[in-house]
Amino acid sequence: MSNRRSSRQSSSAPRISDDQMIDLVTKLRQILPEIGQRRRSDKVSASKVLQETCNYIRSLNREVDNLSERLSQLLESVDEDSPEAAVIRSLLM
Amino acid sequence: MMSTYNMVKQEFIKKWITTLHMLDCSVEHPLNVTERKNAIKLSSDIAMAAARSGSTVWSRALISRSGNKTANKPVARRILKKARNRLKNRCLTLRRNGNFTAKSGVRKRTELLKSLVPGGELIKNKDYLIRETLDYIVYLRAQVDVMRTVAAVDSVTGNLTNDNK
Repeated sequence: MSNRRSSRQSSSAPRISDDQMIDLVTKLRQILPEIGQRRRSDKVSASKVLQETCNYIRSLNREVDNLSERLSQLLESVDEDSPEAAVIRSLLM
Repeated sequence: MMSTYNMVKQEFIKKWITTLHMLDCSVEHPLNVTERKNAIKLSSDIAMAAARSGSTVWSRALISRSGNKTANKPVARRILKKARNRLKNRCLTLRRNGNFTAKSGVRKRTELLKSLVPGGELIKNKDYLIRETLDYIVYLRAQVDVMRTVAAVDSVTGNLTNDNK
């Protein structure tokens, strides 16, 4: 995927094409069950889909942050040789 | 598609174990809760990006971004160097996108999306941006799923500890 290809096709058009939107929505539907509720196949609101995508990414990032916090607190009381550590290790394997 | 997703998770787990070990060896113990949290998150992000073989913008941008956070950790820098070298041959120089005011709702939200996907601000082509976004989301999901599973260990080990005592 070279830079040249993307610069050749640089779109300065303000809107994403319908084809791209339908493609995006189809793929997102597989990942986000909520978007699948929309039955308007033709005029999918590009703005709405983009917004939901952004919200989803933000919520995933937040969750990673929270989980990191939680794991940190979890491991706070764990010794390296403890059974908890062994379980975590075996789970990760 | 499910098996592909499982493969993504497997790859992430493998890489995470490596990054956790490496970061663990390079930090001064004991860590406080915040330091440990940052180390966990950093190792997780690097693992997610490293799990993505092939040249995606988001994974390279994430590794590059993580590089700034590991200034004091020589071992972590080694992982990043390794990851960067692997991608060197397929390295592409992305030009910085110019500034333009976001007017319509789609424009504005496209800009927002660009700011959320690592390296997104460097992508001019919308088709490319969408492909990168979808790819990034799959790996983000895998990262969350695995971390959630590990975090759920505490309810399991609660029982284990009692048995061992």
